[in-house]
Amino acid sequence: MPPTALVEAVHLRKSYGARLAVDDLTFSVKAGEVVGLLGPNGAGKTTTLSMLATMITPDAGEVRIAGFDSRAAPDRLRRRLGFVPQSIALYPPLSAFQNVEVFARLQGLTRPIAQARSSEALEAVGLGDRADDPVWSLSGGMQRRLNLACGMVHRPEALLLDEPTVGVDPQSRERIFTTIRAMAESGVAVLYSTHYMEEVERMCDRALLIDGGKLLSQGTVAQLIELGGRHPRMELTFDRVPRPGWHDGIAGVAAIAAALADGRVILELANLGQIGELLERARNSGAQLLEFAVHSPNLSDAFIALTGRALRDKAAEN
Amino acid sequence: MLRATWIVFQNEFRLLARDRASLFMLMLAPLVIITVAGFSLGNIYGAQPGSEPYQIVVVDNDRGSLARALVAALGRDHAIAVVPAASLDAARAIIGGRARAPLCIVIPAGTTAAFAAGRDVHLAIYIDPVKRLEAGAIELDLDRLCRAITSQAHAIAQQQIAAQSIQLRDQLTQAAAQMKTAAAQLDQLRRQFEHARATAQAEVTAQTHRTVERVSAQITAQINQALEASRTAVAHDLAVRQDALRVVGRYLEQLDASRHDFTAWLAALKTAAGSHASQIPPPPQWPTPPDAAVLAELAKPFELPAARLDAAPSIAPANIAIRMPPIPELRGLGAIPDFSRAIAQTAAPIPGILGWHERAIGGGDARVNTFDQYVPGFGITFLLIDMLWGVGVGLIDERDWGTLARMRISGAPAAGLMLGKLTARFLIGLGQMILLFGAGWVLFGITLGRDSWALLMPAAAISFAAAAFSLVIACIARTRDAVLPIGAMAALAMSAIGGCWWPLDFEPAWLRAGALAMPTTWTMTAFNNVMIRGLGWTSAAEPAAITFAIGLGFLAIGIASSARIYRLAGQ
Repeated sequence: MPPTALVEAVHLRKSYGARLAVDDLTFSVKAGEVVGLLGPNGAGKTTTLSMLATMITPDAGEVRIAGFDSRAAPDRLRRRLGFVPQSIALYPPLSAFQNVEVFARLQGLTRPIAQARSSEALEAVGLGDRADDPVWSLSGGMQRRLNLACGMVHRPEALLLDEPTVGVDPQSRERIFTTIRAMAESGVAVLYSTHYMEEVERMCDRALLIDGGKLLSQGTVAQLIELGGRHPRMELTFDRVPRPGWHDGIAGVAAIAAALADGRVILELANLGQIGELLERARNSGAQLLEFAVHSPNLSDAFIALTGRALRDKAAEN
Repeated sequence: MLRATWIVFQNEFRLLARDRASLFMLMLAPLVIITVAGFSLGNIYGAQPGSEPYQIVVVDNDRGSLARALVAALGRDHAIAVVPAASLDAARAIIGGRARAPLCIVIPAGTTAAFAAGRDVHLAIYIDPVKRLEAGAIELDLDRLCRAITSQAHAIAQQQIAAQSIQLRDQLTQAAAQMKTAAAQLDQLRRQFEHARATAQAEVTAQTHRTVERVSAQITAQINQALEASRTAVAHDLAVRQDALRVVGRYLEQLDASRHDFTAWLAALKTAAGSHASQIPPPPQWPTPPDAAVLAELAKPFELPAARLDAAPSIAPANIAIRMPPIPELRGLGAIPDFSRAIAQTAAPIPGILGWHERAIGGGDARVNTFDQYVPGFGITFLLIDMLWGVGVGLIDERDWGTLARMRISGAPAAGLMLGKLTARFLIGLGQMILLFGAGWVLFGITLGRDSWALLMPAAAISFAAAAFSLVIACIARTRDAVLPIGAMAALAMSAIGGCWWPLDFEPAWLRAGALAMPTTWTMTAFNNVMIRGLGWTSAAEPAAITFAIGLGFLAIGIASSARIYRLAGQ
C-alpha cells in the first residue's frame, strides 16, 4: 500500500493587495517523507506554510492535512498538525518544560500524558537537563530546539517547519536534524521550509523549488540538481563587477550567472584543468578577485539555472 | 565631536517626531490630567462655582423668625441655593439624587423661642459623608452665619439692656436717698429701745431680790419648827426604851442568880446520890445572858432625824410689770420705689447661641476615614493599570512572541483562548481588590460597612470591566509601546473623572455627565454607598450592575476588534 499523502496543497493562491504571494501551488507530502520547501527570501514559503497551518485563509485552493480539509474541519486538521514557526513562539518567563506542557495541553493531551510527552520532547531535542530553566536564559539555538519541541510534543501526523535552523549553532542544528529525521522515520510527514540548500540536500527526500509564489520544480534532490547541469561550477567573488567578456575564449566555460550585483560570478567549467587559466583571466578582469570556490552542481545551481538568480545573496550567507 | 553631537541632537527630535506615544505622553497626557484636576479640585482652592451653586436642603420645623432669618441669609449667598424640604426623608432623597447637594439643615421646632429665651439652640446638619469636603466648606459658611446671627441678636439685646440700665440707675438713686432717711429713723428707734431695755432690766432685778428674801425667811422658819418637833419625839421614844431596858436588866440578873443556885443544887444532888451519881445525866446548859455592853448599846440616845418640810415654799416672783416705749413710725421707708417692674424689664434674657450639630444623612458616622475614599479609589486606579499590563500588554506580548498564533494553530477555539485569558485576569483583579481592602482594613481601619460582602459586587464588576477595557486598549494601541501611554492615560482619566481620587461632586456638571459612561464612577458610587454612607447591599447592587453592563460593552468592542487584529478568528 503506497504511503498516504498527509499534507496536500491543491492550487493554492494567496495575494496581499496587488502582490501575489502564492500562485497556484500544488504539492503533497507523504507519511514518512521529508520534503524541502526551498526558495529565496520572499518566495512565498512562509505564506504557504501559514495557509497549510490555517493561520491565514487561501484566496483559492485547498489544504488537507491527514485528509481533513482546512475549511470543512479546521479544528480536526489542527489536532493532526505540528507547526514550528520561523519566529520563536515561546513564553520567555516560563520554563522550557512549562512551555512544552502548555502547548501539549492545548493540543488536547491530559496533564499526565502532556507531562510525560513534554519530558520526552525535551529529551529528543537535547534540553532534558534544561527543562526547568526559563526560556530567556536559554541560548538562541536552545530556544530553536525548544520551539521544535513545542511543535512535535503532541506527536502530529504532519509537521510543518518554517526555517527552524535560522541563527542556530552547529550543535543545535545537528540535534534538530536528528529529531526531524526521527519524526519522519516514525511516519510523520515533514514539510521543511528553508533557504539553505545544504539542509535540503542533506535532510530531504524531495524538494520543492519555489520563487515568486510559484512552484518552479519539484523532485528528488538528485533530480533537481541535474537541472543545474553535470559539470563543475566555479564561483568567483570580485570587489566590483568585472569587465564583460573577461573569460571569453576558453572552451567549455560558460557563465551561469555573469555578474551578480554583489560582485559574484558563477561559471560552468568543462573540466577542473581550466581553473588556472580562469584565475589568470580574473586577475586581468579590471576588478580585484577576493575569493573563489569550485564545487559540484547543487540545488543552488539548479535554482540559478531555473531563475537566473541566486538562491540567496551573499549577505544571507554571512 | 560637535558634529556628532549635532547629529544626535537632531536625530533625537526626529525620533520623537515619529514616536506618537511619546508625543502623547509629553503633551496631551499632562494636559488632560491638569484639565481634569483643575476642574475637579477648583472648588477646594476657592474657585467660583459658576452657574451651579451648592444646594442646601432645609427642613424648617421651627417656622419662626430665626429660621426665616437663617434661610434668608443662606439665600443671599450666591454660591448656595436653598432647597426646602418637608421632612428629613425628603431631604435624604434630594441629597441622594443630586450631586451638588452635600447637606441638609434641620431647624428643630421651638428654635426661635428657645433662642429668644436665652438658651443655646442647635441646628441639626445631616451631611453626605461622601461629599465631606463640600459639606465642610458650606459648614464654614454656616458657622459664620450662625455667629453673625448670634452676634446680631446679642447686639440688639445689649442695646435694650443699656436703655433699661439708665432707667434703673435713676430709680436706684432715688431709692438710695429714701433708704438714708429710713436709716436715720432706724437709728433713733434703736436708741429708744436701748433705754427701754435698761429700765426694764433694773426693775426685774429689784423685784427678784425682794422675792428671794421673802422666800428665804419662810423656809428658815419652817425648818426650825420641824427640828423642834423631831427633837421632842426622839426624847420621848428614848425614855420609853430606857424603861424597857431596865426591866430586861433586872430579869437577867435574876436569871444569873438562879443559874448559880441550880449548880449548887446539882452538886448537892450528886453527893446525895452517892454511887449512883454517875447515872445522873448532866443538866441542860443555861443560855448565856446578853453582855452588859450589848445592853448598854440599847441605851444610847437616838440621833435627830433630818427635818422634813411639809411643802416647798413658793418662790414665784410677783408679776413684773415693764413698760416699753411705743414703736416710732418709719416715714422714709414707705417711699422706696418698686423695683420689681424695672427688674422684670432688665431681666429679659440675652438671646442664646445659635450653633449646629453634625450627623451623617445615612445615619452613620459623619466623620470620614480618608482611606475609605482612597483605598477603593486608588485600588480601582491600579486595578486598571495592572489590567493594562495583564491583558493589554500581555495580549500584545503574546502576539509578538507568536504564542497567540501558536495557541490558535493548536486547535484551541479563539473564544476559549480569550475567555481563559480574561477570566484569569478578572480573578487576579478581584483578588487584588480583596487584598487591598483587607490591607486597608488592617492598616488603616477602613470601614467595610454593615454588609461587607456587598463590596464583592462592585469589586467583581470593575475587575470584569477593567479586563474588557484593557482588551479594547490593546486593540486600539496595537503595539506594546503604545498600549501603556494610551492605556495609562485612559485609566488615569477614568479614575480621576470617575471619582477615584476626589469626590465626584467636585467636578463640573459636564464632566459629571461624562463620568456616567465610566465604570469607575459607578464602582465608586457602590463602594461609597456601602463604606461611607453606611447603606445596605442593595445600594451597591445597581451601580455594580451598571459597571458590569459597561464592561459588557467594552468586551463586545474588544472581541470584535481583537479577532481581526490578533487573527483570532482564523478559518
